[in-house]
Amino acid sequence: MTERSPTEGTPDSELPVDGAEPDRVVVDALTRTYGGVPVLDSVSLVFGPGLTAVIGPNGSGKSTLLGALAGTVPPTTGQVQRPNAEDRGRKSIGYLPQRVPFREGFTARETLAFYARLVEGDPDAALASVGLSDAADKPIEDLSGGMQRLLGIAQAMLGDPPLVVLDEPASGLDPGMRERAFRTAATHATDDVTVVVSTHNLDLVDAHADRVVMLARGQVVAAGDLDALRDEYSVDTTAALYEAARRDATLSETADDGDPARSGAAAEDERSGSGDDSDRDVHVTGVSER
Amino acid sequence: MTGDLGVTDAFAGAGTVFRRELATVLRTPGYGVLAVGLLAVLWLLVAVGGGGATGFVPAVVDLLLPAELLVPLLAVVLGYRALLADAVSGEFAVIRTYPVGVVGYVVGVLLARLVALVAVVGLPFAVIGGYVWLTAAPDTGIFATHAGVDSPLLYVRFLALITLFGAAFLALSMWVSAAATSRRGAAALAVLAFLVGTLGGDLALIQSLMAGADPSTVAGRAALMPNGAFRGLVFETVIGVSFAQEGNVVDVGRAVGSLAGWTLFGSLDSVGTLAFRERMSTAIERSRFRFAE
Repeated sequence: MTERSPTEGTPDSELPVDGAEPDRVVVDALTRTYGGVPVLDSVSLVFGPGLTAVIGPNGSGKSTLLGALAGTVPPTTGQVQRPNAEDRGRKSIGYLPQRVPFREGFTARETLAFYARLVEGDPDAALASVGLSDAADKPIEDLSGGMQRLLGIAQAMLGDPPLVVLDEPASGLDPGMRERAFRTAATHATDDVTVVVSTHNLDLVDAHADRVVMLARGQVVAAGDLDALRDEYSVDTTAALYEAARRDATLSETADDGDPARSGAAAEDERSGSGDDSDRDVHVTGVSER
Repeated sequence: MTGDLGVTDAFAGAGTVFRRELATVLRTPGYGVLAVGLLAVLWLLVAVGGGGATGFVPAVVDLLLPAELLVPLLAVVLGYRALLADAVSGEFAVIRTYPVGVVGYVVGVLLARLVALVAVVGLPFAVIGGYVWLTAAPDTGIFATHAGVDSPLLYVRFLALITLFGAAFLALSMWVSAAATSRRGAAALAVLAFLVGTLGGDLALIQSLMAGADPSTVAGRAALMPNGAFRGLVFETVIGVSFAQEGNVVDVGRAVGSLAGWTLFGSLDSVGTLAFRERMSTAIERSRFRFAE
């Protein structure tokens, strides 16, 4: 995944916005405001196959970014381009919102059967993929929070979408369930499937994520291959990376004289010593074209 | 997201949504209680009016005014949260990641709720019809082909009109459920829709007559609101037939068109509201953002 300039502008010609790389998800100068207040501010990223974790403090814009990826949050400005799989008989997006939304009164199997019928999927296979076969006949309201999240993950995976977006799939779960939720997501993140997960569980990011995006105040403060970022910041864990990136972002904001347009990813540019606008894209090992 | 489905795919997923919605209705015990309650009220009304022995048309006369209140009320109860539930829970956002068009989604929900309406409202009225058939005087069993004779066919017409009348209010309450953003808001809008729908037309008509409107236009204008259309159609095609009156209560064609039109209006507005609400709020945000720049 590539993090690009935080400033607005026309789509970068280097980005595969015209489907040159159809498996990529391109976020181009995405801004989303609520009541005029930007929750995401000129975010530009490219997501590729594998598991990408979106991390950041509460209110940093993680859910808004994931909603924009899933198509449930329209951008105020900018655009999101996703792989279209419907012409290949697949669902284009798998989405699990932060709050599992399934109707009470239906069993786990009935719930998945509803979605499976829409994409000619197999609800029993989907249940088995998240280890819920034994709970198939339990009503939604009798499932634990962890089981409901696993069911939500199974739902998102139905129809083999090339893009799966899971908003905090491990939230509120015990350690065993958290591990299971992330392992399931990681298992599905194959060569042609992009899985994007938001989380506060940084140990799980260490264990399962290929890449990471860190948000703060609606802007990207670090993004790229997880190992490369840890090397870049000379840290061993995602938790240490999180602290280092956040510290850098805070320092950068202070040095920025309060200009909001130059916070966030602009800090990345300054840290790398680049002052040239054309050079402000952040290089990501193994993904970036630059 | 599959928001840009073509016209051909607009109804995609309607059947699956219908099955799920119908299962939801069947698993809601409250609707069964409503049906039993309605049956009890109708039976009481017919009993107070002289019992089933009086015949079909007298039973229709006894039930007409209560029907004008109870049918809209139950239709609104069935519809006011139908589209809101998925929107509030967030499940609509998930459903939209599947190949389901907004039209297909609304049609699926509406048809399932229409089946529920027939069961919850139509069935108790039909049971009352069966009760009249079993207890009425022998000549009421004649399938009348001419005016002046009581007949089960007249009651069947009454049932059909009840369904059409209920469908109009159901579609309008679906629109309420699409427009509302919370359960409380939906309840408030539903009460408003019920009051305006049931009383608004009559009050407007009375007001216009008091203001000097030509009384000869009443038949045409009464048909414009659902209650006036329903009442007029019952008089014209059920009660009036039996009593061989010269019917001029309502313009029949306009009244049927009015009920069908309100149903279509509510359905289309539900689709439009669901499809464009997010786009509208985004457009407002976009304008505000550009203005602030």
